[in-house]
Formats: sequence, C-alpha cells, structure tokens
Amino acid sequence: MDVTARTDTGAVINIGKKEYREIGMDLDGNERLGAWQIKEIIDLSLPPGKTTEERFVAEFPEGTKSVDIEVLLTYYLTPGYQSVVHRVSKKVAFER
Amino acid sequence: MRTTKFIGYMLVTFFLLIPVAVRGEINTIDEIEKTYGDKACMTCHEKIHGEWQKSLHSRSVIHSLGGLRNFIVFGLKRDWKKPVNRENLMRCMHCHAPLLEQASDSLAAEVGELVQSAFDGNEGAKKQLSRLNVNCIVCHNTVAEVEINLRGATKPGVYYGPSGRSSAAHGTEKSKTITSSAFCSRCHWLYTPPDGDTLYCNTLYGSYQDAYKAAGGAAACQDCHMRAKGRGHTFPGAYVPEMVKEGIDIDLQATGVRVQPGKGVPAAIITIGLFNNAGHRIPDG
Ligand code: HEC
Ligand code: HEC
Ligand code: HEC
Ligand code: HEC
Ligand code: HEC
Repeated sequence: MDVTARTDTGAVINIGKKEYREIGMDLDGNERLGAWQIKEIIDLSLPPGKTTEERFVAEFPEGTKSVDIEVLLTYYLTPGYQSVVHRVSKKVAFER
Repeated sequence: MRTTKFIGYMLVTFFLLIPVAVRGEINTIDEIEKTYGDKACMTCHEKIHGEWQKSLHSRSVIHSLGGLRNFIVFGLKRDWKKPVNRENLMRCMHCHAPLLEQASDSLAAEVGELVQSAFDGNEGAKKQLSRLNVNCIVCHNTVAEVEINLRGATKPGVYYGPSGRSSAAHGTEKSKTITSSAFCSRCHWLYTPPDGDTLYCNTLYGSYQDAYKAAGGAAACQDCHMRAKGRGHTFPGAYVPEMVKEGIDIDLQATGVRVQPGKGVPAAIITIGLFNNAGHRIPDG
C-alpha cells in the first residue's frame, strides 16, 4: 500500500508505505521461499473479518493550498504479476 | 507348445485382474491418464469440465513449475542428497498431483526429469506434465473422504458429490465431506509426510480456522469459491482481480490541519481502513 500526495503546485510527495505479507523462515532465522525450507511463518497479512487501520501525519511546504491524497493498494503475486486492488483519493484544502 | 500358450494366457489375465490401486503399479503418464484422466468425464459434464480447465486445479503442476524444479534441483539433489523417487516427490505431489500416489519410483524419476526440462523451456515436457493435476477423479474419488477410518476408503468408480443424484454412467454417492471446508484442508493446510517432516506450502486453512471461524465466520470455502456468483469449478483466487477486490474494502479519511504553533504548517491527518472480507488472511503465502 503506497500513500502519496499531489500538491496544488503539482509536486508529488511520498507519505508512507505498508506491506502486508507472510514471511517464511527457516529455523536459522533466514527468510526462505521454498515450501520444503519453511518451518515458521511470521504473519504480517490482513486478518479476516477485521479492519486493519493505518494512520499517517504528513506535513507540506509552506504556502500549499490543497493536496490530493492517493492510496494505491497493489497485490503482488509472482514477479511480473501484480494487480491494482484499489486506488482511492481525497482532496484536502488548507484554508487561511 | 500348448502349455506355454496357456501359461501366457494365464499371465495376461492375472495382470489384468490386479487392481490398479496397488502402490508402485503405474509406470507411465499415459497409464495415469487412461485410468484417472479428466477426459472420461468431459462428455457428460461438459460445462463443469470447461470451468475446471479455467481453474488453477487443472494446471497444478505446470503453474508451480519453478518451485517444483527448485525443490528437485536444490532441495533434494544439492542440499538433502536424496533421490527423486515417489516418496520424495509426493512431498509436493500429495497436493499438486495426487494421481502420482501410485507411481513407481521410475515414473517419479521421469516426472522429476520432465519438471527440470519443462522449466528449461522444453514444450514437449511441459505438455506431458500438463496431464498431471488436481482433476475430477482426485476430488470426487481419491481424496473425497476425510473420515476414512470411520466411513472407509472411497470405492473405485464411484463419484462422491453433494447430492448423490444417480447416473447410469457410474456409481454416485452423497457426500457431506465434499461440501465441507475440511475437504479443502487436505491440500490447503500444513502437510506432514510419512517421515514426520512438516511442509508449509499453503497454510490458509489454519487462518480460516483460527482467525475466521474462531471469530464467528460461518461460510465454508465452497460458499465463496464455488456457490457465490455461480463460480462453480473455476475456483477463483488471487489471480482473479475481481475476487481480490471483493476480498478487501478500503476506507480513506483525510483532514487538513495546521501544525506547529505560530508557523501553521499545512498537514494532513490520514486514516486508512482495510477490511478483509475473505474467510482467511490476505494475502496467503
Ligand atoms: C498440503 C498441500 C501442499 C503441499 C504438500 C505442497 N503444496 Fe505447493 N501449493 C499448495 C496449494 C493449495 C497452493 C496454491 C494456494 C495459493 O496459491 O494460495 C500451492 C502453491 C504453490 C506454489 C505457487 C504457485 C503460484 O501461485 O505461483 C508453488 C511454487 C508451490 N506450491 C510449490 C510447492 C513445492 C515445491 C512443494 C514441495 C516441496 C509443495 N508446493 C508442496 C499445496 C501444497
Ligand atoms: C478441487 C476439487 C474439485 C475438482 C477438481 C472437481 N470438483 Fe466437482 N465438486 C467439488 C465440490 C467441493 C463440489 C460441491 C460444491 C458444493 O458443495 O456446492 C463439486 C460438485 C460437483 C458436481 C455436482 C454439482 C453440480 O454442479 O452439478 C458435479 C457433477 C461435479 N462436481 C463434477 C466434476 C467434474 C466432472 C470435474 C472435472 C472436470 C470436477 N467436478 C472437478 C470439487 C471438485
Ligand atoms: C455418460 C455420462 C457421464 C459420464 C461419462 C460421467 N458422468 Fe458423472 N454423472 C452423470 C449423470 C447423468 C449424473 C447424475 C446427476 C446429474 O445429472 O448431474 C452424474 C453425477 C455425477 C456426480 C454426482 C453429483 C451430485 O450431485 O452429487 C459426480 C460427482 C460425477 N457425476 C462425477 C463424474 C466424474 C468424476 C466423471 C469422470 C470419471 C463422470 N462423472 C463421468 C453422467 C456422466
Ligand atoms: C488435491 C488437493 C486439493 C484439493 C482437495 C483442493 N485444492 Fe485448491 N488447489 C490445490 C493446488 C495444488 C492449487 C495450486 C495450483 C497452482 O497454483 O499451481 C490450488 C489452488 C486453489 C485456488 C486458487 C489459488 C490462487 O492462488 O488463486 C483456490 C481458490 C482453491 N484452490 C480453492 C480450493 C477449495 C475451495 C477447495 C475445496 C472445495 C480446494 N481448493 C480443494 C490443491 C487442492
Ligand atoms: C467469506 C468468503 C471466503 C471464504 C469462506 C473462503 N475464501 Fe478463499 N478467498 C476469498 C477471497 C475474497 C479471496 C481473494 C483475496 C485473496 O487473494 O486472498 C480468496 C482467496 C483464496 C485463495 C488464494 C489466496 C492467495 O493469497 O493466494 C485460496 C487458495 C483460497 N481463497 C482458498 C480458500 C479455502 C481453502 C477456504 C476454506 C478453508 C476459503 N478460501 C474460504 C474468499 C473466501
């Protein structure tokens, strides 16, 4: 999940990034990909039936009048195969 | 002269009478296809066959070729220094191609060679391997019963289905198992090979039990993956974008504020909620 902002002047600012996945480990503490090598799983995925909430606070340059916040959720399967699950955005204005 | 012929005749019948279900009996992929192939079901169950062909179950070896090849080349040969025989190949094929359960060690070795040459781009080898998969007979007979000790093993030539509607073409039996999540757990969970090792290929059923059912989730695997939206035997999953979209709802809240007293730096407070609608973790593996 990538969170970015585009300011009213057209600048694109990276706000944050978050990955949800499982890490398969061998017993020596190394990440492994082979099914026969994995003996432990560190679960950083999204649990079912629950909302996983993320919060970010982003500061912008002096004089910024508004920003478009965009969240891009991408599903990575195998190298070379990925799909966009959601792309949502919201405009935020800073009044004087 | 007469006696030799008679013995010859006797021998032939003898071999024909041996049931196929004996370990180490099958020596070629042709034989597997003849005995357990999906073609025999295609004529009458055409629609289901077409759906199944779109599913990953119909490509369960060639779709996982890279991983299977690495297991043979790096796992078995380089690290473990073990032969590519039936027992070792079944560590993966228990789920990826249960039809090999009755393969001889020489057929297992041949499949190992095919996996390597298909990985190297040999189309002929890939075509051979595409005949090994999770097909109609696997699900509706070979692995159809989970409570084997209570109900007994499945009967050859009888196909276990949700209603058991009878057919002149073959025996049918109504099966509660096949409509249950436990049925899918045979292949979508941890696997313990006979030597007691553990295999973590795909442990999604664990999440279904511990995180979804435990929190009150009521749907079975078949509800979402088969019955919903007439998905039938296409079994959509992570490779079907609509399915993934259906799995996750997103909510974005953002408010503009000014931080740092006196300076009034423009800032945004962003809250993102991701709700998982599936019956298990997303993603898996
Ligand atoms: C307990 C059953 C089981 C065993 C044993 C098993 N697998 Fe799997 N494997 C699965 C299932 C089910 C999937 C697909 C699930 C998914 O995509 O979420 C899968 C997926 C895969 C994939 C990924 C396919 C993709 O989506 O790109 C690879 C590679 C793979 N397996 C390799 C192996 C290897 C190598 C072994 C043996 C060392 C093995 N598997 C043993 C059940 C198993
Ligand atoms: C991965 C396992 C799996 C495979 C492979 C599979 N089936 Fe099924 N099949 C099921 C399950 C599970 C059900 C029950 C669905 C339910 O409970 O709603 C079912 C239901 C059926 C039914 C009865 C329901 C209906 O729609 O008429 C028939 C007939 C059937 N399958 C035939 C086949 C044929 C033919 C093939 C091969 C082309 C096949 N199946 C492949 C698991 C499988
Ligand atoms: C000559 C036609 C024919 C062939 C070939 C055939 N079937 Fe069937 N099958 C039927 C008919 C007719 C029914 C009765 C129910 C129906 O109409 O779907 C049936 C029912 C079933 C059921 C039970 C469905 C339920 O609702 O419980 C399963 C499972 C099944 N077949 C699997 C298979 C498999 C696997 C093969 C291939 C090995 C196969 N069939 C080959 C005609 C056939
Ligand atoms: C005999 C073993 C076996 C059984 C039984 C089985 N599966 Fe699978 N399933 C597999 C394998 C192996 C794959 C992965 C094939 C690949 O990607 O190479 C798979 C793939 C899938 C996928 C696609 C995964 C993806 O990455 O998109 C779904 C969805 C699925 N199975 C659901 C089910 C459901 C639901 C059931 C029970 C009704 C079931 N399976 C029963 C072995 C099995
Ligand atoms: C409440 C609906 C629901 C239930 C119940 C459910 N699934 Fe899923 N499943 C989904 C959705 C939605 C996705 C797509 C999101 C994703 O890729 O994880 C999915 C994805 C999958 C995948 C691909 C996962 C990956 O990351 O490669 C497999 C395999 C699978 N399911 C198997 C099963 C099995 C087996 C069961 C029963 C133990 C089950 N599902 C129960 C909705 C469900």
